Amino acid sequence: LASQGIGQGISQGISQGQGAHDATARRETVPTGFATLDRLLPAGGVRRGGLVEWIDLVESGCEAVAPPAGRSRPATASSCLPAGGATALAFAVACRIAERSEGGAIVVVDRSGWFHPPAVLPWLGDRRGSLYVARPAREADEVWAIDQALRCPGVAAVIGWPGRVHSTALRRWQLAARTTGVVGLFVRPSYTRRDPTWAEARVAVKPVPLPVHAAMPRQTDLAVRRLHLSLVGGPWCGDETVVEKSAELLLDMCRGHESRPPNAGARRPARACVQAHEDLPEQGKERVSCRAS
Amino acid sequence: MTIWLPRWPVQRRFVEQPQWRAAPLFVCRQRRTGVMTVVSWWLPPLPDAPRGEAGGIVAGMPLAEAMEVLARSRGVQACRSAVIDPDDPAADREALAVLARWCRRFAPVAAVEHGADDGREPARSEGFQPECIQLDVGGTAGFFGGEERLARLAVWTLAGRGFHARTAIADTPAAAWAAAHHTSRLAEIRRPGSAVASRPLGHADEVCPGSRPPRAARAARRFAVVPTGEAAALLAPLPASALRLDSADLQRLAELGIDTLGGVLRLPRKELAARFGATLPRRLAEFSGARAEPLAPPEADALPQARHAWEAPVLLRDMPRDILERIVERLVATCVAPLAAAGHGITALQVRLERPRWNGGAGDAAMAEGPTVIDVGLYRPSAAVAHLTDLVSLRMARAVLPREIDAIAVEVLAAGQATTRQRLLFGGVAEASQAQVGMLLDRLSGRLGRRAVFAPRIVADAQPEHAWMAAPPLAPAGAGGGSERGPRGAPSGTVRRGAAPGEGSSPHGPVNGSRRAPRREHRPAPGADRKPAAQRRPTWLLPRPRRLEVVSVVPDGPPVRLRRQTRWTGVVHAQGAERIETAWWRGACVRRDYWIVEMESGERFWIFRRLPDGAWFLHGVFA
Repeated sequence: LASQGIGQGISQGISQGQGAHDATARRETVPTGFATLDRLLPAGGVRRGGLVEWIDLVESGCEAVAPPAGRSRPATASSCLPAGGATALAFAVACRIAERSEGGAIVVVDRSGWFHPPAVLPWLGDRRGSLYVARPAREADEVWAIDQALRCPGVAAVIGWPGRVHSTALRRWQLAARTTGVVGLFVRPSYTRRDPTWAEARVAVKPVPLPVHAAMPRQTDLAVRRLHLSLVGGPWCGDETVVEKSAELLLDMCRGHESRPPNAGARRPARACVQAHEDLPEQGKERVSCRAS
Repeated sequence: MTIWLPRWPVQRRFVEQPQWRAAPLFVCRQRRTGVMTVVSWWLPPLPDAPRGEAGGIVAGMPLAEAMEVLARSRGVQACRSAVIDPDDPAADREALAVLARWCRRFAPVAAVEHGADDGREPARSEGFQPECIQLDVGGTAGFFGGEERLARLAVWTLAGRGFHARTAIADTPAAAWAAAHHTSRLAEIRRPGSAVASRPLGHADEVCPGSRPPRAARAARRFAVVPTGEAAALLAPLPASALRLDSADLQRLAELGIDTLGGVLRLPRKELAARFGATLPRRLAEFSGARAEPLAPPEADALPQARHAWEAPVLLRDMPRDILERIVERLVATCVAPLAAAGHGITALQVRLERPRWNGGAGDAAMAEGPTVIDVGLYRPSAAVAHLTDLVSLRMARAVLPREIDAIAVEVLAAGQATTRQRLLFGGVAEASQAQVGMLLDRLSGRLGRRAVFAPRIVADAQPEHAWMAAPPLAPAGAGGGSERGPRGAPSGTVRRGAAPGEGSSPHGPVNGSRRAPRREHRPAPGADRKPAAQRRPTWLLPRPRRLEVVSVVPDGPPVRLRRQTRWTGVVHAQGAERIETAWWRGACVRRDYWIVEMESGERFWIFRRLPDGAWFLHGVFA
């Protein structure tokens, strides 16, 4: 707890020290539309002009399932695409941000070329025309395109899948976003979770299968996706990634909203639990603290 | 050199509305009697039909008759999906003039063909529409490595802009016009041992803008170079219509049994005027070069241009980049000033870095190159000099610049009405944001390319590969896929499309263009979950489906296990099957049963079973 307090103090100090850059930025906090996620994020939502990183802990993508013909060896880290649900969550958050921005557009920087717009266009409703996709061919162009999109005040959110990016580029993105108030939402593979970052929040996303009631796979309505979110600490805490908070979220894949559990409406739980971790969850060193709701 | 753009009204519409490639298109004009007649048309090629098959439709045919021909050859469904667009000759001519200005990269003098000769006589035929651009390449062909390389370069450069063109270079504009309209025939004539004489004579080559002849013949058929002094001999087998005669003269010649250009050339000239009037002798004189046919550049002083020349060639490597950009900025400002005063903005700009021309030193290969051309296109008219200069700099930073130049020319290719509105005291944020996004998209397009920046639009097509299209960003309402106007499809080359190995897929994109959603194509499989899952699509879609090893206990049932690399993984949940099959009129059928599967690790995949052979494929990932 002491280390967390020191970390937050340093973070606030850095933020206050950058006040000169934030003179023109709109720094209000925008709710993500996901109450669970809002409770998890430090600002209670996404702050305009900030970067949020979504660390997708499942990065097998398509290569691991079905490698292309003539390629038998496992896919390299750079060829893997995040596949754990972080992309859908980032898009859902971007839609909510765009809804609250007058005339704000969403710019998608997709270097892989595999982004399938019909997955998210229905979430935008009447604002379908405000989604723009840029497909850079090279990594340098990708960095440049994200930087340019973050510098445009007419953009509400920028979504990208940058891999390992130099800290200088991240810093440039951060300054660009703070100047214009654009929110950068970057889905990054798990191997970048120990890299230094300039993002205001870094959320690790891991999919959780829906409960099974029989041995055979059942024909279930997979309209909802269950995601385990963890707010992970930055590099200032040492080499190890520190999980500060975690929660589970149900994402409605049809509408891009948060879905309530089936029994949530029947009876409201007396207490809401927030798990506090001191280390990675797989290491089994977690402590659960409960507080009154 | 003549650049022929076959069915120009159709090609112009395809560039502006790429989704119209998916269905039959009729450009029609209403006569005074109220009858709609077909001016130009296009039919999507069928996989098993001959290329360029026109189905018996000819220009001037009543629309009702054309639809009857279409229904007979393609079915009633094709008629329902056909797009009928009113003729707009002024827009066609204006677009051709813009393209002619763009073609000045090949030669300084470029003109649109004129129907009325010298502006004093009536057009060749009623409703004449220009389809050709004529260039004087007499002094510039050497800069491109010769006439043949220039003709080929023009074809492929225009193809890069989405235009299907045929080019020909000859001694006179008339001869070049004739050769450009019969490049296929000339290729056969020049081929040794060809039996061209036995073939029936037709009019111009039947060219379908979207068709693709075999690769080997494609290059040779799209351009032709007539050697100096051989025009009469080489073009003699061409039909008499190659002389740009009107229908009355052609009818008279046919009555005399003369149907080739060579036959017309053999007629005694003295009696021609008395028998045929003034047109035929003049056309013959233009063909032989006895009568000059001046090229009139389109509206030479309508759009501004500026040029900065040095007294002696300068090395670009010695010139700091900021000085170069300052010169460009000054030239751009010169071009913008008269337009901004009239409330206009630039939508297309061309910057030419002109290399020095040497009178001697013909052996220097570096001198046999044309100017370095940098094209800048904008989604909205802009009169902001800084923005335009920035776009030029972005393109210049990625272009291969010449070693030395002696001039920089900036030319406005197209301009439009700049939208400026009075600033609002309250509100107006959305409009400002739109303008800023427009500038961002210009910048992104400038560096990444225009095809790399787009606005996705949903298309009413059940096949996932064609379920969306990449529309130009900031397109006017109704131009995108969300419009209710006609069918929608994917522009060629902009949307990834693919089919499973061994599975049919239309190489020309979605040819289904029904205004109604094809209900038969998209339905739950028999006995499967009836809940609608059409809205749930994966975030990643593979360019081509990949083969999977899947274990399914029940025939046609849900998958139980998937093989991931070397190990098998259990499926926790499966939802499906969503049957997607394409209709018979789209050519090779696609019949698939799609499943959403959730793995033990929580990942979700979109897989399908190909119904004809039961093979499984991975098609998408819910990321």
